[in-house]
Parts: sequence; structure tokens; C-alpha cells
Amino acid sequence: MKKWMTVITAVSLSLSLAACTTKTATDQTNTTKQPESTAAPATTAAAAKKAPVEITFWGDWGGEGEKQFVMMADAFNKSQDRIKVKYVLQEDMITKFLTAATSGGSPDIMFWDRWRTSLYASKNVLQPIDEYVKKDGINRGDYYEEALKELSSGDKLYGLPLTVDARALFYNKKLFAEKGLQPPKTWDELENAAKQLTIWEGDKLVRSGMSMNDNGLYNMWLQQAGGTMMTSDLKKTNFNTDQGKQVLDFWDKLINKDKVYKVGFEKGLGEGTDAFVTGKVAMTYTGPWMLSTYKKYGKDLDFGVVPPPTGPSGGKGSVMGGFGLVIPTGSKHKDEAWEFEKWWLANKDNALLWAKTSLNLPGFKPALQDPFFKDDPLWKPFMDTLDFAKIRPQHPGYSVMEVDGLMPNLELFIQGKQDAATALKKGQEQGDKLLEQNASGK
Amino acid sequence: MASITKLSRHQARMGYFFITPTLLLFVIFTVIPVIMAFYLSFTNYDIVSKNDFVGLDNYKRLVDDNIFWTTLKNVLYYSVLYIPLNIAISLSLAVLFMRKRIGVKLFRTAGYLPTLTSGVAAATVWIWLLNPEFGLVNDILSKFGIAGPSWLAEMPYAMISIVFVTLWQSVGANMVIYLAGLNGVPEHLYESAKLDGANGWQSFRYITWPALRPTTFFVSTMAIIGALQLFDQAFVLTKGGPANSTKTTVYHIYTQGFGQLQMGYADAMAFALSLIILVFSLVNMKLNKEEDAMI
Repeated sequence: MKKWMTVITAVSLSLSLAACTTKTATDQTNTTKQPESTAAPATTAAAAKKAPVEITFWGDWGGEGEKQFVMMADAFNKSQDRIKVKYVLQEDMITKFLTAATSGGSPDIMFWDRWRTSLYASKNVLQPIDEYVKKDGINRGDYYEEALKELSSGDKLYGLPLTVDARALFYNKKLFAEKGLQPPKTWDELENAAKQLTIWEGDKLVRSGMSMNDNGLYNMWLQQAGGTMMTSDLKKTNFNTDQGKQVLDFWDKLINKDKVYKVGFEKGLGEGTDAFVTGKVAMTYTGPWMLSTYKKYGKDLDFGVVPPPTGPSGGKGSVMGGFGLVIPTGSKHKDEAWEFEKWWLANKDNALLWAKTSLNLPGFKPALQDPFFKDDPLWKPFMDTLDFAKIRPQHPGYSVMEVDGLMPNLELFIQGKQDAATALKKGQEQGDKLLEQNASGK
Repeated sequence: MASITKLSRHQARMGYFFITPTLLLFVIFTVIPVIMAFYLSFTNYDIVSKNDFVGLDNYKRLVDDNIFWTTLKNVLYYSVLYIPLNIAISLSLAVLFMRKRIGVKLFRTAGYLPTLTSGVAAATVWIWLLNPEFGLVNDILSKFGIAGPSWLAEMPYAMISIVFVTLWQSVGANMVIYLAGLNGVPEHLYESAKLDGANGWQSFRYITWPALRPTTFFVSTMAIIGALQLFDQAFVLTKGGPANSTKTTVYHIYTQGFGQLQMGYADAMAFALSLIILVFSLVNMKLNKEEDAMI
């Protein structure tokens, strides 16, 4: 009886304490918004000598994302009194940045989709941070080498990684249990599982074993087969090879012979009707950004994640991506912007704070060691995948080559309008031409 | 006499005074940018770092750009399907809803409604309706024993779907223009035609259609311009796929300019496109004039 009492009092006490702390936290934000005069007498004369430098932080994440960014800015503003960060939501950020970069009004720090670096860095609109990194003794080993590479151009580094992601295989546990299947580890197992899980009713595909919706994943399949998209000198395409052919043959088998998928099957199915959520697709390749969406469906969707299955010769492959923070050359407060970047991305607690709130894998490796990520069965497979995942080849014309050169030819192949050899050959010809036309410095 | 010229001079002055703001805006936001864009099409402008004169390089590259020609072929194919259908359907709707019957206003409103939705929103809904397995369109087809295709993901159907969705969205507006045109046809012409024993088709062929020529000219010209500049629907519905079969010229210009920072080249393409639009509009004008001469 007495024990119960203590428990209840403890709980209620901690609750009221929590309420108090949140209240004081909001009070504090209110006071920081007040003129400095109220805070000045309390602090020392040295600190009060001038008003904080205000820096602008641009990002294109609204809604929840905006709240999370504002939270980080507030936390940073509270941690010191020299710099004040203001988050500005820019829906069409890149276009706005382009005009701002030339006409002044550039932000001081920017949320950055890393793959853009090779296109923009050569235009001298981003500030290299190598000197800052050296001066502050930032350990490069604390980040994925591939992620740093993606933020580099030439031999200069332009930012630190904020998130890391890669695609892994999501599978529907309930459907797998019904057939007594284990999550696939190889292409053969993948094919077998996909075949068993597919259901057709006459001409109508009722359930697809494996989503083959995204031809853009060719790059990761190719890595599994042991190939690469571009030559090692990053000048020409390199997918018109035996490995490239292996991927297409396997796709052909899955789509046209085993009939585990139908072109266009998932088109137009939004979040609530998503084919994986509703069990119309048993396996799909997607990234950690879908975890929170899928978790929302709780009991209705029991799913697991495993690293991508290996190819015929045991090759592993996935494409790494993610975001970083960069400082534009046009920034008038580069030092202060760097302070903020360092505080956020080179500090375990701060990196973790945002990662946990926004449910993103942090780019700072020590933060990944937190049990929140390391011991979670859904996060763990992504971390395993990241160990071998590779970034997209760093060529300013890579995305155009992929989208306009290779993809159309792959689509013609999948729809049976040209054979694998022609698809790869034409993809190579068109792709090489696009790479040349979109090379930087032209 | 003197007072009349004085008055008209005063009127002219006031006229110019009133159009000045509009004209200024037109010059600042249309004429000057067009001239600048024309200049930039001869440079390697990349928005941020450089702006060197490169002569005809961009135009030479254009000739060799397979994707540009593919997109042009796509929009021409689209125009050939879209423009005649647009005129035929909007005119038929207008003639149908011209008659004074109960409920006609309701139908007019219903016909016009799709025009009010934003292109992107409408396209998003259509993606869902056109899903091969779960979409309403194939559901209805299957009731008649027809297995519908993957409308937006298969080769010949993707463009047809885009034609259909854009028609659905634009005939309402043209219907209203035709309704206005029909109101302007003098009633006595029909009466005398009736006295002469003309049937419905004949009075349409010899009275309505010729009388609506200015309206048709307007509608078709706008349709040509719109068709050649197709972007939203193709962007949302198919992202240009499958196999670039629905990629449009404006889409290509957009990716080259803002995606690849090759604004100079994008400008060159934009000028090539505007030249093509000009040619088609002139042809359209000529065709309409010739028919005028016949009557």
C-alpha cells in the first residue's frame, strides 16, 4: 500500500515537474524575443557589448519539417547569445537561391539535397568549408565517407551531412508468414518469394509479389550485379555491360515471365491507398523516409526491413543519398553560419535531437550509436545497408543522363518494344551524349 | 469643327493616359524580358556564374538534340488530337446547351466546372481514376468485359490519356466562348432559312458555322498556343514517360534551364518554340481568311 502511494506521488510529481519545465522553456523563448535590455543587466558587461548577429537559414521543408527546423534554430539561439538563427521556408528554394546568389539577399546557411553539389559547386555559389573543418578539428571519420564525397567537388568540401539514407527491402510480415517464407537474401530468393506472393485473377493483378515500379533503381540493381553506372574516371556511362544485361534479364524474368508485377500497377495510389500499406504489394524497395508513414498503420501493416538482396555473384548494392547543410558564397556571416552548422552536425546531442524528432538517420556517426537507432529492428537494416551503399556518380549531367538517356530505353524494354541489348546500347549512346552536353564548364 | 478636333484630341490624350499603366507593365514585364531572353539565347548564361557570348552554339546544339525533337513531335501529335476534338466538343456542347430547356443552366455549370479546378489538382485525381487495377475508368470498362490498359504507363495510351484529361478540363471554357458567339448570331437568319426549307444541319452549316468564324479563330488560336506549351498535366500525370513519349517541349526547357543551369540553351529552345507557335498561328489565320473569301 505504501509502495503504491510512493509510486503515484512520484509519477504525479514528475508530471508536474515536466509541465513546469515545458512552461519555463516557453517562457524563455518569449523572453529571448523581448528586447535585449531585460536580459542585459543580468549578463556580464562583455557579453552585452553588442546585439547578436542574425543569420538566415533556408530550407524547403514545410509543415512538420518546418517546426523541427525552427526547434533546432531556437535550441541553438538559446545555447549562446552571439548568433541568432532564423529559419525561412522557401517552397521553391533552388530557383530562389539562384536569383539570390547573383542579386544579393543570399541566405547564410541552406538545407541541401547533396546530389546537387557537383552541379552547383563548380559555379562557385557554395563556400568550401575545409578551413573551418581543419581549424575546429572536425573528425572526418565521424561521417560516412560516401556522404562527405557527395558534398565535395574537386578536392573541396562544401558541407557536413545532416542525414543519410539508402533504399532497403520492405516486406509484409503477415504475407510472408502465410506462405512460410523468410525475407530474401539473394536474387533467387527474391524471385521465389515474389512468385509465391503474387496473385492474379484472370487479367487482373490482385497482389504483386514485388514492386517493380521504379526504373530509377537500376543503379542499385546494377551494383548488386557487380556493375557501375559510370566509368571510374566519371566521364562515360558503364552500364552497357554483362552486369547491365544481367539486371535487365532478371527484370524481364520478374515482370514478363513470372509476372510478379504489372506496369503502372501503383500509379496514383497515395498514402492511404499505398499498395504496400494495403497489402497489394508484398515487397518494395524504399528508404527510411517511409518508416514513419508505414508505422502509422500499426496493426494493419506488419512489416519488416532487410538490406537489399545480393546479386548472382554476391554483390551488395544500394544508393546512398541524404541532405546536408551548406553555406552559400553570398553569405555575409559565414563564420556564424559555420558555428550553427558545427553545433548541429558535429555534436552528438544536437544531431540526435533533430534525428529523433524528425525520424531521420543522422549523418553524424556517433549519434547513430544511440540505442534509438542501433537497437531498433527497423532502423538497423538501413545502417547495415549504409555500410556498402554508394552515392550517385558525381557528374553534373548524371541525373539528366539517367532520366533522359537510360530510363526511356529501359521503359521500352520493359514494355517489350526493344530487346535488352538494344536498350543498353541506345541508353549508352544517348547517355554519353547527355553527359558531354551537361558537363560543367561548358 | 474646331471644337470637335479639340474634343477628340482630349479623348485621345485621356485614352493614352488610361492605358499608360498597362502599357508600362507590358513593356517592363513582357517586352524587355523577351528582348533579354533573345540576347541570352546567344550566350552560355547559367544564371549564376557566367554569361559569355557564344554565337549560334545553342542553336547548333538544338539541331542535334534528339530529346528536343522528340518533345516537339510529342506536342505536335498532341495538338493534332487535341485541337480538332476541343473545337468539336466545345461547339457541340454550346449548341446543345444553347436551347432553352429545363435544367440547361445546370448542365452549363457542370460543363464549366472542370475549368475551375487547378490543372495539378485535377491531374492528381485523374492519376487515381486511371489506375489500371483499382481505377474507376478500368472498373467501368471491365463491366463491359474490356480489360483496360495501364493508361498512364503504357506507350500509346499515355498521350491519349493526357489529351483526354486536358480536354475534360478545357472544353468548358471554350463552350462559354462559343455560347457567347452563338448569342451573337442574328435570329432572323434562322427564321428565313426555315422559311426556305433548310433543315437543322443546313442551317448549322451555312449560318451558324460561318457566323462563328471569329469565335472559332479565337478558340483555335488559343488552343494551338496552349497545346504547344503543354506542361502541367504531362508533368503531373506521367512525368514525361513512358520512354519520353509524353515529354513536352516546355518540360524539356524547364529541366535544362532550372535543373541543369543551362539557361542560355533553354532560351534558345524557347525561341525555337515561339517561332513554331508563330508559324502555326499564321497558318491558322490564313486558313480562316481563305474560308472568309469563299463566302
